[in-house]
Amino acid sequence: MPLHVVYAQSGKLSARDILNKVDDLYRGDASTGEMTMAIVTENWSRTLTMQIWAKGKDKSLIRILSPAKEQGTATLRVGNDIWNYLPKVNRTIKVSSSMMSQSWMGSHFTNDDLVRESRMADDYTFETTFDGVRDGIKVIEITCIPKPEAAIVWGKIVLTVKDESYIPLSILYYDESMNLVRTLIFSDIKNMDGRDIPMKMTVVPADKPDESTIVTYNQITFSTPIDDSVFSLRNLENP
Amino acid sequence: MITIYYSWRNLWRNSRRTLITLIALALTTAVLIINLALVEGYLKDAVANATDLVVGEAQVHAPGYLEDHSLYKTIENPDAILKAARDNGIGATERTYGYGLVSVGNKSAGAFFWGVKPSAEKTTFELAKHIGEGSFLTDSETGGIVLGKKIARSLNANVGDEIIAVVQAADGSLSPALYNVTGILKSAGEDIDRGAAILNDADFRGLFVMDKGVHEIALNSKGRIAPEMMPQLLAPALGKAEIKTWRQLLPAFSDIINLSSASIGIIGIVFFLAAGLGIMNTMLMATYDRMREFGILKALGTGPARIIGNVLAEAFLLSLVATLIGIILGLAGSYYLQVVGLDTGKVSGEISFAGVAFDPVWHASISVRTIILPVLEMWVICVLASLYPAILAARLEPVKAMLHV
Amino acid sequence: MHEQDSDEMISMLSRLAWRSVGRNKRRTIITVLSIALGLTFALFFITLAEGAYYQMIRDSVRMQAGHITLEQKDYRDAPAVDLYIKNPGELRNRIEALPDVEETKLLILGQGVARSGNGAVGVAVMGIEPSVEAGSSPLAKKIIKGEFLADTDDNLVIIGSSLASRLKLDLEKKLVLTTSDANGDLVDELCRVKGIFQTGSDEVDGFLVQLPINFARKLFTMPEGSATQLGVILKNQGKLNSVLKKIRGMLNDKDIVALPWREVMPELAAYITLDRTSNYIFQIILITLILFTIFNTILMSVLERRREFAILLAIGTPPGQLQLQVLFETIIFGIIGVGLGLLLGGAIAYYFRVHGLDISAFLKEGVTVSGFAMDTKMHARITAPIMLWSALIVFFATLLLSIFPMRRAARTPFADILR
Repeated sequence: MPLHVVYAQSGKLSARDILNKVDDLYRGDASTGEMTMAIVTENWSRTLTMQIWAKGKDKSLIRILSPAKEQGTATLRVGNDIWNYLPKVNRTIKVSSSMMSQSWMGSHFTNDDLVRESRMADDYTFETTFDGVRDGIKVIEITCIPKPEAAIVWGKIVLTVKDESYIPLSILYYDESMNLVRTLIFSDIKNMDGRDIPMKMTVVPADKPDESTIVTYNQITFSTPIDDSVFSLRNLENP
Repeated sequence: MITIYYSWRNLWRNSRRTLITLIALALTTAVLIINLALVEGYLKDAVANATDLVVGEAQVHAPGYLEDHSLYKTIENPDAILKAARDNGIGATERTYGYGLVSVGNKSAGAFFWGVKPSAEKTTFELAKHIGEGSFLTDSETGGIVLGKKIARSLNANVGDEIIAVVQAADGSLSPALYNVTGILKSAGEDIDRGAAILNDADFRGLFVMDKGVHEIALNSKGRIAPEMMPQLLAPALGKAEIKTWRQLLPAFSDIINLSSASIGIIGIVFFLAAGLGIMNTMLMATYDRMREFGILKALGTGPARIIGNVLAEAFLLSLVATLIGIILGLAGSYYLQVVGLDTGKVSGEISFAGVAFDPVWHASISVRTIILPVLEMWVICVLASLYPAILAARLEPVKAMLHV
Repeated sequence: MHEQDSDEMISMLSRLAWRSVGRNKRRTIITVLSIALGLTFALFFITLAEGAYYQMIRDSVRMQAGHITLEQKDYRDAPAVDLYIKNPGELRNRIEALPDVEETKLLILGQGVARSGNGAVGVAVMGIEPSVEAGSSPLAKKIIKGEFLADTDDNLVIIGSSLASRLKLDLEKKLVLTTSDANGDLVDELCRVKGIFQTGSDEVDGFLVQLPINFARKLFTMPEGSATQLGVILKNQGKLNSVLKKIRGMLNDKDIVALPWREVMPELAAYITLDRTSNYIFQIILITLILFTIFNTILMSVLERRREFAILLAIGTPPGQLQLQVLFETIIFGIIGVGLGLLLGGAIAYYFRVHGLDISAFLKEGVTVSGFAMDTKMHARITAPIMLWSALIVFFATLLLSIFPMRRAARTPFADILR
């Protein structure tokens, strides 16, 4: 359902609805797109461009377009399984449980982040903790605490969205001792294929504030259907 | 000179007793020598196991490297350090390290990759020969990988299998490569067994996209230079790099060696007492046997000091000759044990203790100390053991002594 | 007549022997003391060493899967959670009925990754039966914070101090265990820390997570009652072979094997054998030194009495009788010496059995053998075989030594001496 219809109907959204909206922001039944990822670490910086296909909640394929050295490297995710195809050696390896917490392609995202199925509205208990003006912008802040049985490592996450449009501005991740561990910032809002979406996501680790991973969507569509065969090992290795 | 002659003659007046005492002393000396040689060999081998295999007597790293093994903490001026080491007669090799993943078939495992220079490794350390299956790497061939014993087993990897290595390279890129398993190591300590994946220096640098930079310089003089001296010797070339001896690198193992030395020291004392008891007994008996003789001497006017002196001189002379024979016997036995060794290898072969792999054959190790120490002990025991009876003899009343049976 | 003679002779000889022993007190004391001290030292070292090995084995088998481990035959070569024993219950009951079995335990061993907000570590996951382990597990005794597990603890784990500090975990804090289950699927479970232990071994404190076996079954998607290992703990280590045979006889499922601890923990077995061997070599050297003294003494005593023996031989005493007398004297030395040695050695060993010898001053880092942490307090272990064998070896060695002096006694050239 187009977003403008939703909020024209009922005025302010409930916290639950806001959370669901954010969770569904980049998902659709099917989405394809192209993005650039710029990683800055203490010892090196690099930029990758990649193509993504995603279907539903549990299928995604990401293929690296540049730099040339890594062109063709692809990650396929189906359910809880992840495979990496390495064109340089023409081999595919399955990512085992021990690798799930490793960083994905050197970024500040982990393999785990790709697979993460948790929905804020379902796996957390939440409440609106701020509704007003901050830094000149009208925002709503929702604090979420993971439910006791949820397999989530965080102590709490704090989501801040723009009032009225409910577009996310930031998510802060805290460990159980309530120390900030990482910050996710959304920016560059554009309208893509009928949705208002932040085109840029920046991840900053709290212990190394000079490092960051910035993901910028160059282009994204939500309407083109994708065949299931796209999310197969065969397609992974032979595009 | 004359006293020596007379003392010698006195000894042989009761030749049987003297002979028996001589043999007893000689054998005891020999046993003490062999024991000490075995003990020294044990300790030396234990240390050599750790140092000769792969750790070396000392290692050089960039400051803080050992805390996080960061790919980026390389040694500033490795060439200067290598040269300084070799100029001082210390063998040295350079190594680079990085973490990553290895995969064989559908099994994968986290690995700790090494980049080594095979020919330098072969001359400085034993690791290259510590191969269970296959062979070690060579300078000229690339594309080979040598795995630790346990990681190979968990991957079900055999010599000749293809391995996929995937790492995060120094420039952040995901870097894969294919290698063939050239060899699998024998047990070389827990860490190596579980995670070592050894590559040629060139292959490592290609995989990790690291043109230059060395993480570790391992030093081994094979016993010629004391590890504690190395920091001083290499100080001018070190710069900011840190040097640590094997004791600092393997503190648990160092503790074990200390404990072994201590308990061996205690055993040594026990042996000393056991030997001393026997010798004392012999000398006592010998002196008592000559009570009558001493009584006559006193009656003839020989002063107590002279008597003591005579007894001690004889004891010393006896011990001199005995230890001479003992040294010959002891050396023979120790030499045999040094060359052939005591094979405790009915044991199931490879074990690791405090993180270091052990060799089951026990070799003795002869040194000046293993000979001098027992010999000195013998002399001291002989003289002390004769002191008591000597004093007794000196303080005798002549008549009583002459009537002694 | 003949019998009466030999009885008389024995009593006469023993009287002579006693008299001779009593006459030369100094020599007797030295000989007896040498034997006694030699035996005492040997007993001291042997009982301490045996005590240390016994403790190592006892702690390791209680930490791991018992003196005898039953598992799937392919498990040892390639450990995986899908190689489990489906219904160990019946087998377990039959094994527990055996008289030498103290208890049995079920284990599930697997690999996984433990994650917190502050990082991830690859860990060994061990599912145990808390009620069974609470009394015997070395970990239960090394809890420094919180408590050991209980059967009803769902989703509670105990972790080592090093792992806790690495992941910045404390009591009641959560960690997520991620692993591949028995079907090969990736699974996550949330857990909370119930207790923190510290054994001194890096491998245990940094990489072991223990949890109740029911939770392990949930985590690894394994059927109820199943386990990767059935461990058998014996009352007496010495009965291992006989119990092993009986257990093997019970196994009609060709997929399950019963292994002695030496095969499950070969490094520990190797270490013990190596250390024991070197210890015995030292003891042999020690005893050899003592024996020199004894030999010396006995020989000297024979030589000193040449005149006496010469006279006896001259008046027609059979040489054999002289030999017997020497033998009897030696026996007397032996019995008194060994007896004294057993008393003294036994007393010292008993002291160390009760109080233990603390060597932790030498070992600041603690001791690990192939990853197992060892106790730094050594308690001596006194067993009948140790005392008996040591005593017998020393006694018979002493007797053997008297052979040469005995022959010298018999072959005293009495004609020459009496001239």
